[in-house]
Amino acid sequence: MGFEFKSSGSASQLESFSYDDAIVRKFFWATLIWGIVAFLVGVILAVQLAFPQANFLPQVAFGRLRPLHTNAAIFAFAGNAIFTAVYYSTQRLCKARMWSDTLSKLHFWGWQLIIVSAALTLPLGITQGKEYAELEWPIDLAIAVVWLGFFGTNFLMTLIKRRERHMYVALWFYIASLVAVTILHVFNNLWIPVGVVQFLQTGEFGSPSTLLKSYPLYAGVQDAFMQWWYGHNAVAFFLTTPFLGLMYYFLPKAANRPVFSYKLSIIHFWSLVFIYIWAGPHHLHYTALPQWASTLGMVFSLMLWMPSWGGMINGLLTLRGAWHKVASDPVLKFFVVGVTFYGMSTFEGPLLSVKTVNALSHYTDWTIAHVHSGTLGWNSFMTFGMLYWLAPRLFQTGKIHSEKLISMHFWIGTVGILLYVISIYTAGITQGLMWRAFDESGQLSYPEFIETVTRLMPFYWIRAVGGTLFLLSACLGGYNLVMTWLARPKKYEVPVHEAPALSKVYDDGPPPQSRLTANAGIGHAGDRFLQGHWHRRWERLPVRFTVWVVIGVGTASLFEIIPTFLIKSNIPTISTVLPYTPLEVAGRDIYVAEGCYNCHSQMVRPIYAETQRYGEYSKPGEFVYDRPFQWGSRRIGPDLAREGVNNPNASWHYQHFENPQVFTTGSIMPSYKHLVEGDLDYGQIQSRIRALAMIGTPYGDAVKNAESMAREQAKIIADDIRAQMPGFVLPEDLEDKKVIALIAYIKRLGTDIYRTPEPADAAAEAAPAAAEEGGAH
Amino acid sequence: MRLTDIMSHMALSVWAEIALVIFQIVFVLVVARVLFAPKSEVRRIASLPLDDESDVKLFEEVE
Repeated sequence: MGFEFKSSGSASQLESFSYDDAIVRKFFWATLIWGIVAFLVGVILAVQLAFPQANFLPQVAFGRLRPLHTNAAIFAFAGNAIFTAVYYSTQRLCKARMWSDTLSKLHFWGWQLIIVSAALTLPLGITQGKEYAELEWPIDLAIAVVWLGFFGTNFLMTLIKRRERHMYVALWFYIASLVAVTILHVFNNLWIPVGVVQFLQTGEFGSPSTLLKSYPLYAGVQDAFMQWWYGHNAVAFFLTTPFLGLMYYFLPKAANRPVFSYKLSIIHFWSLVFIYIWAGPHHLHYTALPQWASTLGMVFSLMLWMPSWGGMINGLLTLRGAWHKVASDPVLKFFVVGVTFYGMSTFEGPLLSVKTVNALSHYTDWTIAHVHSGTLGWNSFMTFGMLYWLAPRLFQTGKIHSEKLISMHFWIGTVGILLYVISIYTAGITQGLMWRAFDESGQLSYPEFIETVTRLMPFYWIRAVGGTLFLLSACLGGYNLVMTWLARPKKYEVPVHEAPALSKVYDDGPPPQSRLTANAGIGHAGDRFLQGHWHRRWERLPVRFTVWVVIGVGTASLFEIIPTFLIKSNIPTISTVLPYTPLEVAGRDIYVAEGCYNCHSQMVRPIYAETQRYGEYSKPGEFVYDRPFQWGSRRIGPDLAREGVNNPNASWHYQHFENPQVFTTGSIMPSYKHLVEGDLDYGQIQSRIRALAMIGTPYGDAVKNAESMAREQAKIIADDIRAQMPGFVLPEDLEDKKVIALIAYIKRLGTDIYRTPEPADAAAEAAPAAAEEGGAH
Repeated sequence: MRLTDIMSHMALSVWAEIALVIFQIVFVLVVARVLFAPKSEVRRIASLPLDDESDVKLFEEVE
């Protein structure tokens, strides 16, 4: 395909063109296939929580599989859905074919390659260890090239070359998504690749795992702040704004009537763009994040409720006078329930951002329920509504294979969502209340964390059933769409359209005159301004419009980021907090690779129930060497921030990693026997320490002697375990096992603040000394 | 004197207040644009998604 021709008749000045629907069809199928994969992995995860024996291989254990699920759902399923919507609607709203068929194809295949890379690397434990940003640096670079280089260039050039003067509001939402995701992705993925550092210093790249490993430039509090600035806005600008663009285009099409209020959509757009970007810190309430940032995030989150509901109301009222169609039109059913879930999620989001509510909900399954009401209800149902609307048009069949099957998909999916979210809401609130419950003597009612886990088992099973129903409904949908496709003509017809090119000189009409009669000059100027002539110009100037979106997103970001990074009092340093030893770094990297942060937090909040359960609350200065930060967002297992203080027994950890159920009956933690049996690659440690030193960690002699220092500390820990476990058959080369490094890291957690400060004159040499101490921590 | 020193001596609350003021200004501007937009123009723009297939002239068959 790929033709575009101009009519020779200059009298009409019409240009002929066709739309590239082949690329839309490609994204259509990718959406469906990756959607089913994402749902299937989600069901496996749900079963693993209720039935831990399902963690039968290290590569598919919960900690490694959960990032695969989230990445598949967000970037593979929702991502391809977004591109399906963008490629279909942009061409039609612009009355122009996509600017470059080659870029369209590069975008499609590049994006699928990224997804496949994610599917291969995440189960292998190759991860950055930051939620929704797990993919390692080479894939990050590929995302930047494909997203901005291929997709962004093609999209913006299509806007510039369009034949419709005005840019409809759906295009605004696409522009905002493109701009914001680019900014978020770049600034949250500033890292130093270990392999590249090694190559620069030794001329060798090292092993594949060294080559692919990176450490973030930010550490601790700043890393956490950037991550949740990214994480929250990934939801905003990947799962919300492009889907709103989808809603503003496809809902009017399906209902065959214009959007209820175009004016409201303008307010909706600018308010969302300007407010959303501030709200990230609400993910870090009561953590070591400075309180001012947390409060600012909460205030803007509450403000977010208004434009979000404005959008929801605008979507639902588009059906005014056509509600009778909803009963008979299955596509509209998906859209109506999708928009309703958008309203519910965007009400709940601000609610959860209120600090007192968040104190209960944070780290519980409540957050998981909130997320799934949004992704299953809003994203998935809007996507399936779109796919069903598109299928007869893209495949030129005139009708869908079976409307009955669509209805079955809708009802089974709806029941699945409800089973899922209701059970997990219940689990989350139960969990939160149990964590903070005290008995009449002032002691924790449930001092053993496992009590709060076993109580949730019935809900976990219901969730697994709900998720399975949702997966089943998607498979029904897939069958229906494939059957529709099978009825396609042998050759697709390609309609040829005609429209005049936009003239380079556009007469906006005379500038507005002041309607006032007896005012000073400033009054007349104000009245001319209020007539909105300036904004109407922006709305047909894509480059200028994009620049203003960048300013909107950038201003909000910088107001939070600059103080967080530059104000010293945000992160008071603690003199006894020292860099991790080389062996602890190796152990920490294993912790990250296994995805332990998916089940364990490392953040004791200054809440009485938490300090009673875990010990002293976490201080910002404790995390200055944490790259990446590992605060987590969920407690399927207990918090580990003070684990080195509460449980420093190496042999306990050794046995617990091998079989968690030995010490904790009912534990749902998988066995990490592969760490007990697998050998640690000591040769990699040196390059990792060099990379960390290069970005500011004061390592002293460890920069040269990391491997020998690590071996020395490992020997101490291994001997300790041998002494504590007489009569047990232990490997002769115990000190060479991966689990020893992980135990070294776990034993270090939360201990620094209890160490005796170095004498003042020795403080300057504290860092190198700490590295040399090896097993002294 | 480094930038971090200057920033550290600033009152933190000012940043949040400036942020809110900026938002309010932007919001007022957007509302003003919306309130004073000509109805006929808004009606035409709102119906753009419904008009985008209306100008089909002919069909060609391709692979």
